[in-house]
Amino acid sequence: MSKQNKTNYNKNMFRQYLLLVLPGFIIFTIGLIIPMFMAIRYSFTSWNGMTQDKPFVGLQNYISLMRDSEFIDAWWFTLRFTFFNTIIQNVLALLFAVALDRGIKAQKLYRTAFFIPCLISSVIVGFVWLRMFSNVLPAINDLFGTHINFLLFGDGSTVLSGLLIANNWQWMGYWMLIYLAGLQSIPAELYEAAKVDGAGAIRCFSNITLPMLAPAITICVVGITTGSLKVYDLLVSSTKGGPGRASTSIIFKTYSTAISGRKYGYGSAMSVTLVLVLLIVALVQVKGLKNKEVQA
Amino acid sequence: MKKKKIFSLLLVATMTSSMLSACSSNSPNTTDDSTVETTETSESTEVTTKSPDELVTLTVLAGQSSTDAGIEDMIDVALAEKYPNIKLNWECVDWGNDFQPKMQQYMQSGLPDIMIGKAQDIRTYAPQGILGEIDSTYTSRVLDAANQSAAYNDNVYGVVFNALYQGVYYNKDMFKENNWTIPKTLDELQVIIDDCNAKGIVPFASHMVDTWSIGNVTMQFAMNDVFNKEPTWGDKFRANEVSFSTSKEYQQAYQYNKLIFDNTFPDTFSTEQTDCDAKMVLGEAAMKVSGSWSIQNFLDINEDFDFGIFPFPNQTGDSKLIFEPNLTIMTSAASKNQDAINCVLDLLTGDKDLATEIYDYTRTASMLKDVTPTFINPSQEDIDKYASDGMIVDVTIGNNQLTWGGFQEENAKDIAAWLQGDITFEEALKCSDDRVAASIVN
Repeated sequence: MSKQNKTNYNKNMFRQYLLLVLPGFIIFTIGLIIPMFMAIRYSFTSWNGMTQDKPFVGLQNYISLMRDSEFIDAWWFTLRFTFFNTIIQNVLALLFAVALDRGIKAQKLYRTAFFIPCLISSVIVGFVWLRMFSNVLPAINDLFGTHINFLLFGDGSTVLSGLLIANNWQWMGYWMLIYLAGLQSIPAELYEAAKVDGAGAIRCFSNITLPMLAPAITICVVGITTGSLKVYDLLVSSTKGGPGRASTSIIFKTYSTAISGRKYGYGSAMSVTLVLVLLIVALVQVKGLKNKEVQA
Repeated sequence: MKKKKIFSLLLVATMTSSMLSACSSNSPNTTDDSTVETTETSESTEVTTKSPDELVTLTVLAGQSSTDAGIEDMIDVALAEKYPNIKLNWECVDWGNDFQPKMQQYMQSGLPDIMIGKAQDIRTYAPQGILGEIDSTYTSRVLDAANQSAAYNDNVYGVVFNALYQGVYYNKDMFKENNWTIPKTLDELQVIIDDCNAKGIVPFASHMVDTWSIGNVTMQFAMNDVFNKEPTWGDKFRANEVSFSTSKEYQQAYQYNKLIFDNTFPDTFSTEQTDCDAKMVLGEAAMKVSGSWSIQNFLDINEDFDFGIFPFPNQTGDSKLIFEPNLTIMTSAASKNQDAINCVLDLLTGDKDLATEIYDYTRTASMLKDVTPTFINPSQEDIDKYASDGMIVDVTIGNNQLTWGGFQEENAKDIAAWLQGDITFEEALKCSDDRVAASIVN
């Protein structure tokens, strides 16, 4: 190909790329980039969200955040929720996926049953589990004369456990399907060859299944982590951030500060910290997990 | 490579312009102080209540309490009959959680023609110059006391349609059976509580999973212990003359929550309002510190449930029943459909059948002159008694001193944390003090 033709070809290719990227770029810019940078700008003001004046206060909001115990508590709750959620949800999803991949009876029924909760809105899930913990499950105590504490949302020391149960119930099936798809794409020859070499079930799992599942693990870990960091709707309908502030997540705190509390500038500073954490976490996880991915 | 650079520059330019636009964006509905002044001093325009010749659709943002959902259909039916060319496009939201966020959003993009909130919203939005003044044609149909609640700088910015009463709802049969009399002092209340506990009766029904209920009862307590004696307590708080940490009266108001918590269902932090009201009706508790919003539940569960109301006793034995102006119809100052808005105001204040239908449905009290609900309210006898004795106080006094969103609401979370043992009482008080900047209504 001559140099002139190559240049024309490159130009055409660039135009095509541009054309394909442009719709997404516009939507992404209007829906995400612009609001994000507006939030950064607002975070340097003491705007209340209503007045025309947006007094510039420099880094004052960020300095105040460092001393704000409610903000720190909200982050502490969010990080604990994210940590436990990521571990429990991944482990359970993988275990159920492995179990279903073994060809057990009524596999489709189980798959559907596990998947259905993720089709329900998190707000509804919150209501459902509030009722479960306060009405349905305590009725079991009445029935059998037991004294199991089911009132998990009613106490600051147990509310995290209750929310983890509700969240895992909802989302486990979704991630299980991703793992299941990953498991079903692993070539059977690999297992057969391993068996010939004398590998047992555990060896096969650790040396074949896990490495081959690495792309799925990347998707699930990043998805669950970022999703957990953004938990809000589940809390709105179940604990409302309580009792007290025991289940106030960073998004919940940001919303109540910026909107209900009419401290838009301060709330924007909170949201900027969340964006930074989300970026760092996603970057670290994708980089770290990508290195472990292998191709069949 | 060059094109990539151009592309990157384009992206950077977009980001920069977005930051700058955030800095300079104007709120279409906010006006500067001079405009507010002009609005306040201008004479009211001629009122037209003739049905428009062409179809007009008015947008309505309705901030509703749990009792109010459904009244929009009644209004639509009545409007179609009287003003067939006016249609209402309703956006119904929960007043407690969503009304303020929606207002904030609309203040940037343009207000709806009509907004339905509470009287306390007037103090938040009227100073922004975004609310239209209500013509005397309509305010003259409303009780004078209600108009006062909706006034700012001597102008009325809302039609207060109905009212709620707040206090201690009690099971009349239970009180009769146990020979309990209505307590006026805390000692008398303590006698009933002790007797309840001795007989295995839960003294108070409560649903502390709803943090708003903690905030609501705290304001009830504060009205009788703080604001009845010092109506400008909030102003003094902001002037650093009083504080939660030093005010014995406000501390007592917080402590009443502990009294309720120690004498209520053990699962109050897992109990919702409907469950709580059901337990009250079923005789599982003797009293409930609440408001008229519970009446709908009480009578839906058992229409024969016999209950009364008394003000939560204070330290000096002179507590008053709390009155809260509820549904308050506000209008946009910038609306181009003022004639159609007037027709709606005419309907809401002039159609007595519609008003009665709404009062009966919501089980609330009328704020319109010469309109009386027809539903049987077992607590009406008590309300009338306190009204004739002049023992009723408007909670707007307290709510205008200490704002709900961002202050009372947040204090309630601290009270809940204190009741749960997560923080100390002193820490809860300090949190309220530290929040002083957020306490101002506007």
